[in-house]
Amino acid sequence: MFNWFKKHRKEKSSYETNEEWVEALKPPVDERAVALLRQKLIRGLKPALHKYVDRELDQFVEDVAQDALLKVLDNIDSFRGDSKLLTWAMKIAVREGLTELRLKRYDDISIEDLKPDDDSREVFSLSMASSETSPDRSLHESKLVDKVMTIINEELTDKQKQAINALMIQRLPGPVVVKQMDTNRNALYKLVHDARLKIKNKLELEGIDPDEMLDQL
Amino acid sequence: MELTPDILKKLIKSAQMAADHEIGCNECFDELHEFAEMELAGKSPEEAKPLIKDHLDKCSSCREEYQALLEALRTIESDN
Repeated sequence: MFNWFKKHRKEKSSYETNEEWVEALKPPVDERAVALLRQKLIRGLKPALHKYVDRELDQFVEDVAQDALLKVLDNIDSFRGDSKLLTWAMKIAVREGLTELRLKRYDDISIEDLKPDDDSREVFSLSMASSETSPDRSLHESKLVDKVMTIINEELTDKQKQAINALMIQRLPGPVVVKQMDTNRNALYKLVHDARLKIKNKLELEGIDPDEMLDQL
Repeated sequence: MELTPDILKKLIKSAQMAADHEIGCNECFDELHEFAEMELAGKSPEEAKPLIKDHLDKCSSCREEYQALLEALRTIESDN
């Protein structure tokens, strides 16, 4: 009886405040609110994702909106009210859409394809590219490379070397490296941040000014 | 595999830009909706949330999501 009353009390034509939205999206959900939110998510997702989707944009966006809606409903209790509810829901939908697109983009690449070969696994095996600069300049660059390589090899963990190698030297896209290292985006960012910090601190400790180093390259 | 001067520059710049405290993608996502609303309201989210701004400058995946979010929100706002 109470649920019946609650459900019928909640039926509205518009939802202006966060309180109204949250109330309507909590069980038992107000289907009109769900339909309206779906409509708004679809409206926003189309222009946001169109440049990434080459065909069947409408169907893709509808699927993403539906998946995002389920996440919004599942997590409605975690909404803190620090923005409009629609902004928070759209954030979830946009991530849902771009995550799906990234997965599709690299779906055809198998884990085997992503495994680095023996040479590229080890950063210290890298050599300086031959350049058309003067011999003196090349010699100087080689010394700088040796210095950075020594820091990398002495300071970084194997996982950090692998990540730096994949992202900065092989220039593999982030999602590919995440898959290759069987990790997640957040963990990869933190791993690389720690590596960058170690290199920075070691350069400082050795009295090397990165700006001067960059000028000399 | 060869290390070119360009890659070396990128590596050094990346290390040079490393701050002692940087947030990860999860923490950025946690506050991205607030950051976006501030930007759309013409406030200065980079001053209120400098760690989010720093992360967006350094993480292309989060930046891509943020730009798409702004695009979506601008569309919704224009309907109102």
